[in-house]
Amino acid sequence: MTTEGAAAPLGPLSERVVEALGALGGRLEREPFEVRVVLPARVIVDAVRTARAAGFDLLSDVFAIDWLRYPGHQGPRFSVDYNLYSIEHGERLFLRVDVDEDEPVPSITGAWKAATFLEREVYDMFGLRFSGHPDLRKIHTPEDLEGHPLRKDFPLGETPTLFNDGRFLDPAAFRAGMIGASGGLTGWVGGARKGVVAEQVDPAPAAPRPGATRGDEGER
Amino acid sequence: MGLKDLFEKDVQELERDGILFSTLGKLVAWGRSNSLWPATFGLACCAIEMMQSTNARNDMARLGSEVFRASPRQADVMIVAGRCSKKMAPVMRRVYEQMPDPKWVISMGACASSGGMFNNYAIVQNVDSVVPVDVFVPGCPPRPESLIYAVLQLQKKVRGEVFDQDGVELPMVEGWTR
Amino acid sequence: MTVKPAGYQAVTLSEERTGDFETKLMRINVGPQHPSTHGVLRLVVDLDGERIARISPVIGYLHTGFEKTMEHRTYQQVVTYSNRMDYVHSFGHDLAYVLSAEQLMAARVPERAQRIRVILTELNRIASHLVFFGTGILDMGALTLFFYTMREREQLLDIFESVTGVRMNFGYFRVGGLYQDVPESFEHDVRAFIRSFPKMLDQYSALFAKNDIFVNRTTGVGVIPAERALEDGLTGPSLRASGVPLDFRKAQPYSGYEDYDFDVPVSTAGDAHARFEVRFQEMRESLKIVEQALDRLEPGPVRDPDRRISLPPRSELETSMEAVIFHFKLVTEGFHPPRGSAYVATESARGELGYYLVSDGGSMPYRVKVRVPSLVNLQSLESACVGGLFADMVVNIATMDPVMGDVDK
Repeated sequence: MTTEGAAAPLGPLSERVVEALGALGGRLEREPFEVRVVLPARVIVDAVRTARAAGFDLLSDVFAIDWLRYPGHQGPRFSVDYNLYSIEHGERLFLRVDVDEDEPVPSITGAWKAATFLEREVYDMFGLRFSGHPDLRKIHTPEDLEGHPLRKDFPLGETPTLFNDGRFLDPAAFRAGMIGASGGLTGWVGGARKGVVAEQVDPAPAAPRPGATRGDEGER
Repeated sequence: MGLKDLFEKDVQELERDGILFSTLGKLVAWGRSNSLWPATFGLACCAIEMMQSTNARNDMARLGSEVFRASPRQADVMIVAGRCSKKMAPVMRRVYEQMPDPKWVISMGACASSGGMFNNYAIVQNVDSVVPVDVFVPGCPPRPESLIYAVLQLQKKVRGEVFDQDGVELPMVEGWTR
Repeated sequence: MTVKPAGYQAVTLSEERTGDFETKLMRINVGPQHPSTHGVLRLVVDLDGERIARISPVIGYLHTGFEKTMEHRTYQQVVTYSNRMDYVHSFGHDLAYVLSAEQLMAARVPERAQRIRVILTELNRIASHLVFFGTGILDMGALTLFFYTMREREQLLDIFESVTGVRMNFGYFRVGGLYQDVPESFEHDVRAFIRSFPKMLDQYSALFAKNDIFVNRTTGVGVIPAERALEDGLTGPSLRASGVPLDFRKAQPYSGYEDYDFDVPVSTAGDAHARFEVRFQEMRESLKIVEQALDRLEPGPVRDPDRRISLPPRSELETSMEAVIFHFKLVTEGFHPPRGSAYVATESARGELGYYLVSDGGSMPYRVKVRVPSLVNLQSLESACVGGLFADMVVNIATMDPVMGDVDK
């Protein structure tokens, strides 16, 4: 994550809250478009309570990100983000907790009921457990679906299209030019993932095809 | 003309007098085809166009299909309107089985017919694998006119007026034999 | 004496029910195939007599895997998917997505494109509220208004069709502008609608505003106090009906909404009637915005001239090799935003809507998280319904205005 150019402005309320969260071990990250505080997982309930008491009165969202395939990412595989908004001050604040796969995150449903469905969604889509959630069940996917769809190692589950006269369209081949892994229908390999190339560890490619650039493993 | 004439005159003479002959099967099919009551099985975007097809401009009531029944027990035709997720598929099968025979299915829209643009883990790629479909309607979503055309096609199918690509008449769709 | 099921809590039964006889809660399943649940919503309701003791929505029957699919499409292709999520307010979803993507790309959208976007989004908001009114009052047993609102909606769909080519699921906005300019008849059509629609609104108003059945059916039903609404994360018109004047068009203006003069209707009653009323007023305000935007609509480009984002014009392809290269690159792989994340909150017809995009520098988003209003709003159903009559549940669902595609994603 780069912080290039101007960072998002820090409003007066955010400044106060960031300071209070600093006492809990929070670290401020200023991105171009968002103000984010990275916190240790165990203090997240206190952090949300603090922010709410200070004036962030709307919990917009709770969501997770799987960093498995993110180029150059280090640290725990997942992060859980909390999106807070202050109606009076018109400021937005993101809280982030970095967690590993089997590490339970304290549930904030006790502090904010709005998180009930959102945490269930994260549980369903990423398989992260929230300790203390009153009703942690699947929410979107059917009961018999195994796995957690939004994890990066879960396949999209496309089925190839077969035509009557024996032609065959494979979705992966159809989009290969954009992924940068293999030749697509045109045989042309896109120079996709430009920002990625510089940071990828080069596994000494054997005679790359002309025009080909190294993509991320190409399994997306 | 008295009742006695029916037994004495031959068919051509009677037809000239304005008496038509049919089989009971055809008469029943004619009645059925003109009162196809759909079950409201709106799933997604197509359900909105299904609603629009009953409004004043499109007026599906002309075809005898305006009565959308909330209960599958009172419906003849199920319009699968929208993408069918794998979680919904068993429910859809159950609703279909609750409908009394004879019954028909219209698969409305690209998603119901082929999975459409959602070729992924969540969507049933063709509802024909869940319920037997009689008419597929293309479009994303199909216009109300398309749905009305589909209902007209289904009526033909119910009346046994459908021909295959070689011009051979296809048998009347007998819902109760399924 | 009551028999409490496992996990049952926080419900006080009324005094007269706790006599010397024993009562049991009755569990009733509503949906997912039910005419009044607006799609495939399923509710498991525990009833104490006619009163609702507990209600829990079961969702996911329309789970489409949008977020996963979007991670496998280029930025420009995502526009095709976003509008199918909330098929009643499609332009709202398109706008929310392109705003986030433009923030990532630092695209400069021409003024004309901004104005057209605002006009279409607001017209679509009206169309969405028309569906809300038609079906909402249909759920209470009045069929007439449904035909009236659908009639006006057809008029709007005609405008959308003339602009985008389709009646629903438009996919007309592009990152960096619009797909193409609006047709010549656009201004005339919209002005005709602006002239005729207030009369129609008065008609609706005459049909239901002073209608005793409607008023009695909705007043005092499903009251959600403001604190409760914020606890549940409620946003949009339903929150404004509870007295919190949060509207992201005012609070964090986007797409040039700061230029327009409009009010945010707020009611303090917090009941079903207020939720109807707020949306009704919103249609008038939307009309005001459309009129102002149309007045300021001036000729000009509708796409960011930046070749990194927009396709070169067709005429240049025949003469310029460079244009062909850009064209080929954009069509085959799309553009590459720098790494980072973006989130722009917008006001959809249902509440706060935003796309949280994470870019890893590739041509497809690394992660798309859609903050959908309907999913979060559905949590307030418990606040609105518990303690109320079972028959009022239908009214409460209708006034929450969930769109199941928006809930299940």
